[in-house]
Amino acid sequence: MKRRQLLKVEGLMLRFGGLQVLNDLSLSVREGQIVGLIGPNGAGKTSCFNCLTGIYQPQGGRVFFDGRDVSHLPTHRRARLGMARTWQNLGVIDALTVTENVMLAQHQRAGYSALAGMLGLAGTWHRERELRRDAAEIIEYFGLEAVADERTGELPYGVRKTCDMAMALASDPKMLLLDEPASGLSPEEALGLADTLRELRDRLKLTILMIEHHVPLVAEVCDYVYVLNFGELLTEGEPAAIQRHPEVIAAYLGGTAEPTEPPEWPLQPEGAPHGTA
Amino acid sequence: MATATMVLTRVKVQRRFGLALRVTVVLALLVLAALPLLLGGDVWAQRISRAAIYAVIGLSINTLTGHAGQISLGHQAFVGIGAFAAAFMASRLGAPLGFGLAAAGVAGAFTAVVIGLVALRVTGLYLALVTLAFGLTAETTIFNWREFTGGGAGAFAPRPAVLASDHAFALLCLGVLGLVLYLDWRIVSTKTGRALAAVRNNERIASTLGVNVTGYKLAAFSLSGLIAGLAGGLFAHWNQIVQAMDFEFQVALVWVLMTVVGGLRSRLGVILASAFFALLPLTLPNFLSSLPWQPPFLNEAVYHVLPPFIVVVMLLVVLRFFPGGFGQLLRPATDWLAGKRKQ
Repeated sequence: MKRRQLLKVEGLMLRFGGLQVLNDLSLSVREGQIVGLIGPNGAGKTSCFNCLTGIYQPQGGRVFFDGRDVSHLPTHRRARLGMARTWQNLGVIDALTVTENVMLAQHQRAGYSALAGMLGLAGTWHRERELRRDAAEIIEYFGLEAVADERTGELPYGVRKTCDMAMALASDPKMLLLDEPASGLSPEEALGLADTLRELRDRLKLTILMIEHHVPLVAEVCDYVYVLNFGELLTEGEPAAIQRHPEVIAAYLGGTAEPTEPPEWPLQPEGAPHGTA
Repeated sequence: MATATMVLTRVKVQRRFGLALRVTVVLALLVLAALPLLLGGDVWAQRISRAAIYAVIGLSINTLTGHAGQISLGHQAFVGIGAFAAAFMASRLGAPLGFGLAAAGVAGAFTAVVIGLVALRVTGLYLALVTLAFGLTAETTIFNWREFTGGGAGAFAPRPAVLASDHAFALLCLGVLGLVLYLDWRIVSTKTGRALAAVRNNERIASTLGVNVTGYKLAAFSLSGLIAGLAGGLFAHWNQIVQAMDFEFQVALVWVLMTVVGGLRSRLGVILASAFFALLPLTLPNFLSSLPWQPPFLNEAVYHVLPPFIVVVMLLVVLRFFPGGFGQLLRPATDWLAGKRKQ
């Protein structure tokens, strides 16, 4: 049984001046899938995320989310439809504490208008307490209780990264767009992340699209992988097939692939048995 | 078990005792602050009104600059338009004071939204320049529009009989200040404050979290303009006459800088710094002329430029030693009074 497409991108075109950042990029993510978006530096992965979330307005192409054409919706409207993202350089607000950041991420489901909150109308006080309680639960899930009242600007990178992830979840999304969730993590932590991602998918019914350089993690957790190079889709497929793809090897190593002789395999998960090489 | 319960009880007792102590301290401070109004004559009532009006202006700038991170060097336009609107309502239409103040707030909000629309396009230094130019233009055009402002002669803003006494008017000003303080407190305690913090720090992150950045920026401008216009309306009735020269650029400069000196996002700091700069022009000439030796260059014109000079010097000191403003210095005391405990 094929599951419904949650995210669909058709013919995305993005240019900055003379630079073609994305060229006719199409991809789709089905509900409940974990999909990887890989490619060398500068391939246009983060730009693709920025087009999906509406931060960049691409020159061509369409984005469908949850059965809706969201191509012309502003970023905050897409977020309200259930699109949450994390950032390569972290999406936390340094001036706020961890708790406040998580509560900020609950913005769209606060359930009262900004004016009502400002005037201090009856229901808002109660809702604030509920939001604080929800935030405390999320903070506990991610093991951030000890730093809950610290400003995120004063916390180490790894903690802030966890906070970013907690915020993405706090917005109660349908889909997570993760920009390099494993960067800055040790290899063991990165593999631990695989369990977290699977748990998010299975328990919270989340769909995940992630940019990642850490190949063992991609191979371990992704159902499907898109490979981007110079703004174009190089290939797509299951992780195992992608790892054998000669053009992928060429893109990562530079130069040309020699299909006759399988090279020392750069995309092989560490510890996994090597192929013919 | 037993020890745990005992510790818990002791903590509770301490907290209850602490609460009583804190309430006592707050009440004592309030009584102390009210003494000039209770015991002082009309002069002190006038001074307190002026200080309260300045504090409202400071909180207006705090809304825009402190919460939303937008700069305005043209705040004299918002305040001035509010003042002239209130005077117009009172002297030309004979409307009750409440309507006059409402008109002042609406006029200020409307003007600020126009500037806010520009602010959606330009930020930082360029926004500062745009608001600066707008304020200067408003001074020479709107404020000299004879039918609306009475031209150079000024517009009269008589007080109704109930508020004729300076003491009654001081209570009105303090009431408005209380209202604005309540708004500010609710802003920072709800999603509005968090959304504004996100907009102030990183608009992209804010928008991906579902915050309507455009909407919040315009809301901050309109609220700031509303409060500024309201302060202008109070100012009109405080002085009972409004003139274009009351709203010169250097006044706006003092307002912005006093807010920073007081400490952005620190209500108490903003109030104290605002009160200081409200009273400075009133007390400075007397103070200087009472000095045993007077520099030969002292004259009216020097009195006029001294407040901006003093605020700039204080700004430099503040930026160097405590970037959070006076609010930062006061933080240990305010945290204790608010019942926040150190981790």
